[in-house]
Amino acid sequence: MNPTQAVAALLRAHPDALFVASLGTATSALRAAGDDGPHLYMGGSMGSALAVAMGVAEKRPDRPVVAVLGDGESVMGAGSLWSLAGVRPANLLAVVLVDGHYTITGGQPLGVPAVFAEVARTLDLAADVAGSEADAERLARDLRLPGLLEIRYDQRTWPGPSPFVDAPVVRARFEAAATP
Amino acid sequence: MTEATGSTWQVELARALAEGGVEAAAWVPDKRLAPVAEALSALSVPVRTLTREEECVGWAAGYRAAGGTPLVLMQCSGLGNSLNAIGSLVLPYGLGFPLILSMRGALGERNPAQMALGRTAVPMLELLGIQAFRLRRPQDAAMLARGALGVADGARELAPIVLEPELDMAG
Repeated sequence: MNPTQAVAALLRAHPDALFVASLGTATSALRAAGDDGPHLYMGGSMGSALAVAMGVAEKRPDRPVVAVLGDGESVMGAGSLWSLAGVRPANLLAVVLVDGHYTITGGQPLGVPAVFAEVARTLDLAADVAGSEADAERLARDLRLPGLLEIRYDQRTWPGPSPFVDAPVVRARFEAAATP
Repeated sequence: MTEATGSTWQVELARALAEGGVEAAAWVPDKRLAPVAEALSALSVPVRTLTREEECVGWAAGYRAAGGTPLVLMQCSGLGNSLNAIGSLVLPYGLGFPLILSMRGALGERNPAQMALGRTAVPMLELLGIQAFRLRRPQDAAMLARGALGVADGARELAPIVLEPELDMAG
């Protein structure tokens, strides 16, 4: 499985969700898998994407919200797992794409334990680990929310589309998609 | 301690923000901001406690991007924790919202550790091109709240309301 296939599984599981993607691989993979749809792609603010998704989930409790996060992103913003466990938005799924590397900065090792599902369970969040596209799709669809899905992939191929998005365009398209 | 029916500047500020359309707020707890948060809750504005100020900025950016009107409350030292989220998310994406900044490290401060961020909070905002609106007199609270909401909603810019120490020194 490569990151684009992982995100494609999420899109199949939640075709009507509002997606937020963190800087780097997550944004490139969501652009590749979702035909560059009107999602909220982070061009920067590493470590903030889960908090951003929590804000979206708070404003749109009627919509499922999926946060697609890198593993480096998730350790940088690890406190947001505690915030997720405290606020407990019933419509938010956090997905961590785990390859053990900081891809956007050149592929350096993560250097710390990649134990996102274990931490989430300790925080009393529903959590699971997927190692295949089929598992990723099924667990993304069935996991109780708020929940965290760790997707482990082995093919570290760069998805393709640039992660350096045109911010005002992204914001305007997302606002239109998120507003009834 | 404070009731929504009272007339402290904290309550006036919260009421003007709620009446002006603020739907939800995020904060990292702070003693001076607590009466504002309590007043917001009393006015049925949910106040979310997050672990770090940078998260509050991200949360508000998402809330705003989804079409809402959020509010963030933080101590000025938390501005230091938030700079990257402001610089690489709020500013480029044009996601304006009011930000209540409670000043430490200013007139009357007794903790040496607070001074540097107190001295530099507003200059840092200015370097980022963000205009800060300073609240010094209790009677100006509602006016500043309405004005900041106009800047956030209309001009789509981050609108800091800076709570100066003089607010609590007057009469």
